[in-house]
Amino acid sequence: MEQKILECSELSCGYGRRPSDNSIIKKIGFDINEGESIAILGPNGCGKTTLLRALGGIIPYEGSACIEGREIRDMKRKELASYVSSMTQLSGVYFSYTVKETVMQGRYLYCKNIFGTYDKRDIEVVDECLASTGLEKLADKQIGELSGGQLQRVFLARTLAQETPILLLDEPTNHLDLKYQAELLDFLNVWKEKETQMSDGRRVRNTLIGVYHDINMALMVAEKILLIKDGEILCFGDKKEALSGENLKTLYGLDVEYYMSERAKLWRKEE
Amino acid sequence: MNKIFSVPLPESVTPTNVSIFWDIRMPRALTAFLVGAALSVSGAIMQALLQNPLASSYTMGVSAGASLGAAFVIITGVTGTIFGMFLLPVCGFASGLLTVLLVLAFSLKIDRNMHNHTIILFGMVFSLFVNAILTLVSTLNGEHMQRLVLWQLGTFSGRRWIHVLILLICLVLGTIGTALYHRELDIMSFGQEQAMSMGVDVGKSKIMLLLLSSFLTGAAVCFSGIIGFVDLTVPHIARRIFGAKHALVIPMSLLLGGAFMALSDMVARTLLAPREIPVGAVTAFVGAPFFVWVYFHDRKQ
Repeated sequence: MEQKILECSELSCGYGRRPSDNSIIKKIGFDINEGESIAILGPNGCGKTTLLRALGGIIPYEGSACIEGREIRDMKRKELASYVSSMTQLSGVYFSYTVKETVMQGRYLYCKNIFGTYDKRDIEVVDECLASTGLEKLADKQIGELSGGQLQRVFLARTLAQETPILLLDEPTNHLDLKYQAELLDFLNVWKEKETQMSDGRRVRNTLIGVYHDINMALMVAEKILLIKDGEILCFGDKKEALSGENLKTLYGLDVEYYMSERAKLWRKEE
Repeated sequence: MNKIFSVPLPESVTPTNVSIFWDIRMPRALTAFLVGAALSVSGAIMQALLQNPLASSYTMGVSAGASLGAAFVIITGVTGTIFGMFLLPVCGFASGLLTVLLVLAFSLKIDRNMHNHTIILFGMVFSLFVNAILTLVSTLNGEHMQRLVLWQLGTFSGRRWIHVLILLICLVLGTIGTALYHRELDIMSFGQEQAMSMGVDVGKSKIMLLLLSSFLTGAAVCFSGIIGFVDLTVPHIARRIFGAKHALVIPMSLLLGGAFMALSDMVARTLLAPREIPVGAVTAFVGAPFFVWVYFHDRKQ
């Protein structure tokens, strides 16, 4: 019954001349089923972001990474973009687009005519995305006037406007204050239960793959957890078994359970 | 007027007036307009593409290359019989474009992903290098210095209808080409990686747009010399007035840039009449402070 949506084997990638030269991700293999929510965890510099970039088709890779049986490197940009959307860490923005114009860009791949005009469906989707990220009131504001957190939500809305069944998130809670972190969590938990209609009419259950800084966040969004250390998979499995004290100790070189329980004590009322 | 609408001319207008207006003033004003328009459109492309509000059409080394080509023609004194008066512009254009291709080839070789900073860096390095050759060449050929300097400063005097026609064709082709990429420009101004994941073929769009931009600049430079600050300032003004979407920024830059250049040329021609100031001096004089104002005004918001 479980339909595999993403299959990787012997996957290597990095930033050398060829992906196998001092690669950051070293010949890893894993499968992700349709409808799953995966959290990728690991210490800084272990290759989490690099892996996401390879899956998003942004950097070349060696080995195999297939979406619904088709190799990512062989897909056309627009085709890949109809399966996978990704929200990467923020970069500078120099020009004053309005929020709505920015989110509209997410519809790029659906626009077929040479004038680049958008149809009714595009506008509906964009309005929906603005609403679900709480940006309706800011729609006509220039993005240069927004705070970091608001900007982050604009980029999330733009990514959602792409309407893909696979969503890659790279530390989505950066810049967000607690309220929006909580809202984003709720939103993601609703999103991952939904389906996306592909252009050929098929409905595909949504799959969420995220890199999270915060273990708690990962626990709240994901069912399965992929632990990466030094470019290799330490453990991939159900969150309960993956996040054993043993694994976390190896992963971070820190007694995470002890650390977390000490932190939790701060919240306990004096007895 | 009478040529277009067959309106009879008043007695006071002599055939000489008509001739001055029709054969000298009109082509000159139109050339100025077209050059300003081409430079502004190409400046708008470069700024968005390289995600750098300080990038300009000259970033890729077009101007330096064109100057060297022109210097070569002036110094060797070749007077082609076939090209005639077009030898200088054609050589300028060709060497300008050649420099751009070299910059692109080197950037690609060093950095397959063609990051913006690689392109800017190579553009600058090549400009400086070519400029060094130019300085060397012109020092060794002192007697031609003045003509070269005048060419570089830029002027619209002596332009004829044939120039207008050629420029018009270049501008129309270049602008239509650019217009086809207006959404890619919007998306790429947010960063290349995001653009890729949204389905933009970044590599292809980038090379096409860089070539289009250099083509426009090259066409402008070879008919007028190197006129600065129009390409830098006008797109920012267009963005402030009409918003950042390139579907509007491109045509508006074209119009504003053209108008600005035509006005600047009028000032250059009349301010110290009968002497002419190089039009590049006028655009820089107005453009530089204006640019600072526009740019920092944006920042404050």
